[in-house]
Amino acid sequence: MQQFLSKHPVWSAVIAGLLAVFLWLVLAPWTPGMEAVLGRKRVFVNAVLSGITLGALYFLVASGFTLIFGLMRNVNLAHGSLYLLGGYIGYEVADRTGSWLLAFPVVFVCVAVLGMALQHFVFRRMEGEELRQTLVTIGLSVVLADIMLWIWGGRSYTILSPDWLSGPMTLPIEVGVDRAGDPLMMRFPKVRIYILLAAVVIGIGMWLALTRTRIGMIIRAGVDDRDMLAASGVRIQYVFLLVFAFGAGLAGIAGIVGGTFQSLSPGEDTRFLLASLVVVIVGGMGSIPGAALGAVIVGLAEQIGFVYMPTYSVVITFLILALVLAFRPQGLLGRRR
Amino acid sequence: MALAERPAARPAARPAARTVEPMWIERIPPAAWAVGFVLLIMPLIAGNFFLFQVFGWTFILGTIALSLMFLAGYGGMVSLIQMTVAGLGGYMVAILGTSGVGHISLGLPWFVYIPAAIAIAALFATAVGALAVRTEGIYTIMITLAIASAFFYFTRQNHEIFNGYNGFNLVVPPELFGINWRRPVPFYYLTLGVAVLSYLAVVYVARSPFGLALQGIRDNPRRMASLGFNVTAHRVLAYTFAGVIAAVGGILLTWQNAQISPGTAGIGPVIDILVIAVVGGIRRPIGPFIGALIYVLLRTFSPDVLLALGLPGERYQLLIGLGFLLVVYFSPDGVLGLWERWRARQARRRDPLRGGRA
Amino acid sequence: MSDAGTMTDRLGSVSSGTALELRGVSKFFGALAAIQDVTMTVAAGERRAVLGSNGAGKTTLFNCVTGDFLPTSGTIRLFGEDVTEFPAHERIRRGLRRTYQISLLFTGLSVRDNVYLACRGVSRNRFSLLRPRRSDALVARADELIEAVHLTRQRETLVGALSYGQQRQLEIALALAGAPRLILFDEPAAGLSPSERAELVEILTGLPGHMGYIIIEHDMDVALRVAERVTMMHNGRVFKEGTPAEIESDPEVQELYLGGGHG
Repeated sequence: MQQFLSKHPVWSAVIAGLLAVFLWLVLAPWTPGMEAVLGRKRVFVNAVLSGITLGALYFLVASGFTLIFGLMRNVNLAHGSLYLLGGYIGYEVADRTGSWLLAFPVVFVCVAVLGMALQHFVFRRMEGEELRQTLVTIGLSVVLADIMLWIWGGRSYTILSPDWLSGPMTLPIEVGVDRAGDPLMMRFPKVRIYILLAAVVIGIGMWLALTRTRIGMIIRAGVDDRDMLAASGVRIQYVFLLVFAFGAGLAGIAGIVGGTFQSLSPGEDTRFLLASLVVVIVGGMGSIPGAALGAVIVGLAEQIGFVYMPTYSVVITFLILALVLAFRPQGLLGRRR
Repeated sequence: MALAERPAARPAARPAARTVEPMWIERIPPAAWAVGFVLLIMPLIAGNFFLFQVFGWTFILGTIALSLMFLAGYGGMVSLIQMTVAGLGGYMVAILGTSGVGHISLGLPWFVYIPAAIAIAALFATAVGALAVRTEGIYTIMITLAIASAFFYFTRQNHEIFNGYNGFNLVVPPELFGINWRRPVPFYYLTLGVAVLSYLAVVYVARSPFGLALQGIRDNPRRMASLGFNVTAHRVLAYTFAGVIAAVGGILLTWQNAQISPGTAGIGPVIDILVIAVVGGIRRPIGPFIGALIYVLLRTFSPDVLLALGLPGERYQLLIGLGFLLVVYFSPDGVLGLWERWRARQARRRDPLRGGRA
Repeated sequence: MSDAGTMTDRLGSVSSGTALELRGVSKFFGALAAIQDVTMTVAAGERRAVLGSNGAGKTTLFNCVTGDFLPTSGTIRLFGEDVTEFPAHERIRRGLRRTYQISLLFTGLSVRDNVYLACRGVSRNRFSLLRPRRSDALVARADELIEAVHLTRQRETLVGALSYGQQRQLEIALALAGAPRLILFDEPAAGLSPSERAELVEILTGLPGHMGYIIIEHDMDVALRVAERVTMMHNGRVFKEGTPAEIESDPEVQELYLGGGHG
């Protein structure tokens, strides 16, 4: 970070300036003049918060994807299927046991085991053949998608959030004044805020695990240079299994999250796979902070675009993608290979 | 006993000891002549359904998959943007020509809208290539897939140009020389002609300076750069060439269905083209057509096969996915690879002098 | 030849005399200094050897000159033009060539195809979609080059089937394609038998006078026989420069390099 500040002082100033404007827009009260031009402040804050919480969901899915690619150079195009499968399994668990929280460990274990099985029985035999691995993941996604369609059909499923998470909560952001002249505070669904907090905790946890633990150091070394790592005697296959299991499990849990505040249906697997792709391309491959940054950018772009320019929100996402590819192809926080 | 030479397809290389290089026409193997003859007289054998739905679709999908094979096999770039380029070509024909959506279609004459559609689609392919080639090979799949999906969502949401969900209907080929090109027999020959021309174009360009350089870049980009080749420019131009082929395929696809909608270039079809190319074999230009035939036969007949086996008829996608998995797992260079390995084993078995190595 | 024509046009507008000028070139990989503060000048047509033990930074130096790496600091001028920011293929078009320590050849193609590609790379029609006619001038030129490196009999052989020594000769043919004005030879004698080494010396000394080269070598014998001036590198820096006789008799060089059991 310090390197960036010292090497690109102009860009740092621009980014800092944009952030400042953004924070001011969110935190400061809006004058009627501003509301005439930009619309209601509540709409704006709602879009921003929705974008950030959507970004949290994207982060959960994309971080597994970026770890798996970063370490094993495996573009796991079945990642979206793992997301959807996790969501469906979570739905079944929550529906049958009535416990939303129980779904999390069950889904994590199930999908992680599936991930380990795939890595051990399939991908390990194609060590070094990146394209072939990717093609296999494509085949898997087709097969999984059809099996899920067979079992759960074409309808939309929503996982009901538990009572203690339902309903809105009040946030310390002023969005206007009520009739009495007192400030009105932002009200936003509780479950989304909690999920955002959980994603932040998980993200920080992952970052700490990667930078402070020995296994994390091994993984980071492997992301940098896998062959060197294998040559240095580390049991690389165990590391692969661990990373794949974790990445898959995380995608599965993200499925529960997505099923709770959005919904699950065929096609969501593709949507989240593509979101992961864009997040990781924008943020940088193999980088957890990159996935976080990319997820927030993509989430915000999607939501703000959806609210203010509905027919062209896709164009905004695509423009961001194109700009990053054109000017910084390794991703915002990625390393130039 | 002289070894009887099976009239099977042989690779074109001849031993250097020959003093006179054979003409290109002598190098075409007999099997190819046989297949060509059968294809030419097919309308005498097959019914309209087969001509239009099975063969027509095979030639169209084969052509689009050929564009992928060119990029992947000769250029080392697995691009998932080919179906999108094809879709854009089809959309442009609908938008610039005539369709059932009168308030958007411009109704330009065929000699304007057909070249224009191909040009626009090729330009798009070039732009995507420019974005996709500056990163490592494995990123190409991701980037092209992301752009393909952006295109899908955009056409679905945009009403002013692409007419959203509905797309365009009543898009038919122009009536040239008084022939309705959408009738089974003319359409069969039209698609056959396009497929053959595309195939020949790829075979020819592969040994042109451009094609040789592209293969060199596939094998050793660093070395090619140090020989003076602009690696990036070559790769991007490869996308342009492949884009032209894909665009033509897309136009034919639109004419075959007489309509185009976002789903035509949706993620499913995008992946299907990759499946076709890989299953057939991405090393030789005939591979995509073999893959396309297998795919079309599966799509057309697997519901019946599944029902006969007592399984639900809608699960053909599962069958295709499983088949693809098996091919990638056991024979990554596709059906062609299987064929070549089998032939090598046959050759070894027949010649006791040659021992274990082919 | 048309290529020589365009080259002379460019020569006219550029300061003559200096083929390569490096000023303060450094390349850091993270905290590791592969080369540091390298300043050297090679005259046009000069034959220079760069010597030094493993890790001295010789190959990194080459990689910076050819554009495989971007130097961390410093400038590189090729025939008077500042090429520090230029991509590799732009430097090639200005008359620079290079051979590699580990042969980077197209093993699936024949000797002739390899050399033909090299000739194409610096010609005008490299984007051509049309196949060349049999009477193409470049094919003839490729055959000439193959002759110059004594590989005419192996013209149609696939590179994968060549012996190691023959592959090294092919590397030189690739470097001679077009109209090179400065060639960088990266350890061309590595792994060659004594007779192959003698043949290499013959090929190198037989090159036309206007073609300068810089040769990296471990084999002091070969290097001192084909070079007019020698640059010694140690730990990423240039530590001595002189004629082969001066270098051979220098006590510091003897202690550091020859005494170490190399060569």
